[in-house]
Formats: sequence, structure tokens, C-alpha cells
Amino acid sequence: MINEENDFRKLDLTVGDVFSKDARLKARNVNVFYGNNKAIDNVTIDIGNKEVISFIGPSGCGKSTFLRCFNRMNDTIDTCRVEGKITLEDENIYDRKIDVVPLRARIGMVFQKPNPFPKSIYDNVAYGPRIHGLCENKDHLDGIVEQSLKRAGLWEEVNDRLLSAGTGLSGGQQQRLCIARAIAVSPEVILMDEPCSALDPIATAKIEELIHELGNEYSIVIVTHSMQQAARVSKRTAYFHLGKLIEVGKTKNIFTRPKHSQTEAYISGKIG
Amino acid sequence: MDNNHISSLFDKDLNKLNNNLLSLGNTALDQFDKCINNFGTQDIDKIEKVINSDKILDDLDDKVQKLGFEIIALRAPQAADLRRIIVALKVATIFERIGDYSRNISNRTKLLIELNYSDLPGVNIGKMGQKTQTMFEDVLEAYMNEDDKLAVKVRNSDFKVDKLHTEYYLEIISSMQRNKNFAPTGAHLLFIAKNIERVADYVTDIAEQVYFLVNGSVLSDHRPKADETSLKVPD
Repeated sequence: MINEENDFRKLDLTVGDVFSKDARLKARNVNVFYGNNKAIDNVTIDIGNKEVISFIGPSGCGKSTFLRCFNRMNDTIDTCRVEGKITLEDENIYDRKIDVVPLRARIGMVFQKPNPFPKSIYDNVAYGPRIHGLCENKDHLDGIVEQSLKRAGLWEEVNDRLLSAGTGLSGGQQQRLCIARAIAVSPEVILMDEPCSALDPIATAKIEELIHELGNEYSIVIVTHSMQQAARVSKRTAYFHLGKLIEVGKTKNIFTRPKHSQTEAYISGKIG
Repeated sequence: MDNNHISSLFDKDLNKLNNNLLSLGNTALDQFDKCINNFGTQDIDKIEKVINSDKILDDLDDKVQKLGFEIIALRAPQAADLRRIIVALKVATIFERIGDYSRNISNRTKLLIELNYSDLPGVNIGKMGQKTQTMFEDVLEAYMNEDDKLAVKVRNSDFKVDKLHTEYYLEIISSMQRNKNFAPTGAHLLFIAKNIERVADYVTDIAEQVYFLVNGSVLSDHRPKADETSLKVPD
């Protein structure tokens, strides 16, 4: 029961354990501005090694903006300014010496709408290893493509048509192709921005099962509008509201006994 | 149990819930079997063991309630999955209650030993216990195999226990009327008999839950009953 004494809104603090014993990514006092508009307000959180964490919250709460800070996707927006510190394995990713191209290989991203390149299935997956110089020869590259498609749960469906266009696959298959493309460069973290919002329930379930399996190897951060998806796929959940990180904790606790009244209201469908 | 969800985690949770429930059910059956046997043998050590083991059932029930609650919150189960979880939560509570009755029967058996009455009329306690044990075993089998026919058979056999209970009740009341010294012993025997009759009632509740699990509808026909102890004054 939330009462006056434990109403964390008045304390302006994130509720729950923002830190992780085995952190791979660390965000400290991060603020993000679009021009003069503050979209993220003093967010601190760790992303653990081999952890699946969901970011949830109403539209405009800043969850996607914060996600894009992790691989500096916000750099492409002229008016966007990021303050604070984000480290990957204790290396400041906003350091001037950091080259964003290899950074984005280490922190891969899967977007809302599947966006395969207008190339063959094989070339979609081979693209990253080729440009990052990760393959020694053709056999090695073939192996990377096969392994990536297998890990993405797509190999059985496409191994007889690797040279067909990636864009010719179904929506769910295209999204798994994009996941295969992301993991082909052996990332440490995979960011997923609404990865199932364009998919039907069966394709969604397949992607969710894939996320569960990939969570044994990678750190995965998912932004989702679907609270049920967050409940199903993640071990930890972070709730954002108006640019603030309100509460973070074990998913089973967030969805059965949240500590903050705003989290309770959101997951119960009382604010949106 | 049919388990073929795309989400392997969902299957894992459902299997865990099912295994915990069956473990709870088997433990409750074991406790009940022991308390009936101990009534006959009056072995004080074994009686104490049943009394002290009730916590195991409480803990298993807690596990089922917690996991079922989490599955509903995290997985939003539908159709047969939803029925399975709701039934598991209800049945777990029933198993735990049966454990309480086994403990109560054991406590009273202990007191009967202390009262040391020489000629206990216990034949129908044994018969009621055996019939209830069989019903209990059958209902666990019906749950495991999702066998609604066996569940209906169990549910409709409860009247046999009711009949034995009515006979025993009248016999004890009659003995108490004849011999006032027998009253303290008789009172405990009445409670023991009633507890066994209640366990059989609970088993029929589980049978009805199994039917609901399989069919998604409740059994609406009249259940045969023969417990007349609350309906007539003994002669």
C-alpha cells in the first residue's frame, strides 16, 4: 500500500535497485535534451551482463530516447544533446575518441519495423562482418551467416534460398533476419525498439522465444508498449514517466507488487 | 499435460506448477493414509510425525499459490492454460485443508490413547478411511491424466462415505446415551468420523475441478448425498 511516507514521487527518486552486480552498461545521471526540451531527466541505471531488461512507460516518456543513447543513435539528431555518462565495460561511449561505427557493432540495434537491406538474405547477414573485417575468407563468412541465422531461429526456413531477397520474407522472418544481422558482428548488447509491434501474435511469440534464448549470450534491452511482452520476456523491468526513471526491479515484482504508485497505476491501466 | 507453447519459459512455469501441485497432492494423500492407519495401530510416534509434518503441506501450498499468481501476472494465460492455473490454485488450497484434517484426526487419536477407553467402536472409521483413500487416489489419477470420466465417478461415489458416516454417527450417539463415561471418547470419535467425511467431500470438490479443467464447464447435475446426520434426531 502506498501512503504519504513511502510516496516516492515526493522524494523524486528512482525506486528499486538501479545497480547491477555484473553491469555491462552503466548510465549515470543522464539528461537528454531536444533543443530546450528535456526528454530524459537524471536517469541512472545499470544493464547487467546477459540480462534481458524491458523499458516500459506511456508514449513520450523517453524510453526510446534513452535506449538510443546506448549506441549514440541520438547523434544523428542535430538538436539532441546528451549529458551525463554512459559506459560500456567501463569505457565512456561519449568520449571524443570513440568511433561510433565499431560502437554500433558492439551495441547492435533492432528497430520497430523490420528493415532488411534490399539485398539477398545471405548479404544482409554478411554485411556487418564484411564491413567490420570480421571474416578471414569465404568459408569463414559462410559459417558466420549460418550460425547467425541459426541463432535467430531462421536457418531452417531459409537455408535453401539464401540468395533470395531479404525483403521477400514475411514480417516475422524479416525481423528475425534483422536480429541475425545484428548478432553476426558478435555484439555485446542488443537494443530492441518495439521489435514486435509490426508482427502478428505467432511471429511475436517466436521473436520473444528468441529473445529468451539470446539472453543467455547477450545483454538485451527492449523498449515495448506491451506490458505483457515486458512481463513475458524480461528478467528486469524499468518504468519511465515524463523522462524520469520511476521504478526498476525484478519483472515479477514490478508486475505483482510494484513499490511506486505511478508504476502500479500504469501497469493497472490507470494512466497512459 | 499438453505442453507446446512457442514460449519455452511458459511451458517451464506450467510444468513446475503442475509438479508442485502433484507433490502437494501426493503428500496430502500420504498424510491422510498415515492418520487412518495410525488410528488403527495407535502408534504414538507415527501419530506425532503426521502432526509435525503439516508444515510441509503449508509450504508446498505457498509455492503453488506464489507461482500461480506470478504466471497470471506475467503470462496472461488464456483458455485451457487459464483453467489449469485457476484449478491449481483452488485444488492446492483443498489439499492443504485436507492436511489440516489429517492433523486434527491425529491430534484426536492421540487424545483417545490418553483416554484409554477399552472398547473403541472403530470399524466404520477404517471403512470410511479406506473408501476416502481410494477416492483420493482416483482423483489424483484423474487430475494427472485429465480423465473427466474418472473424476465424475469419484464425485458420485461420495455418498458411500456419507452412508458409513451416518451409521457410525448413530452408533456413537447410541453408545454415549447408554454409557455417559463413554461421552468424552465418543465426542472425539464423532469429530474424527466427521473429519473423514469432510475429506471425502473435499475430494469430490477436486473431482469437480478436474471436470472443469477438462471441459471448461461445471458439473451441474445433482450430486448423490447420503449424510443424514444433520437432518434427523437419533432414536
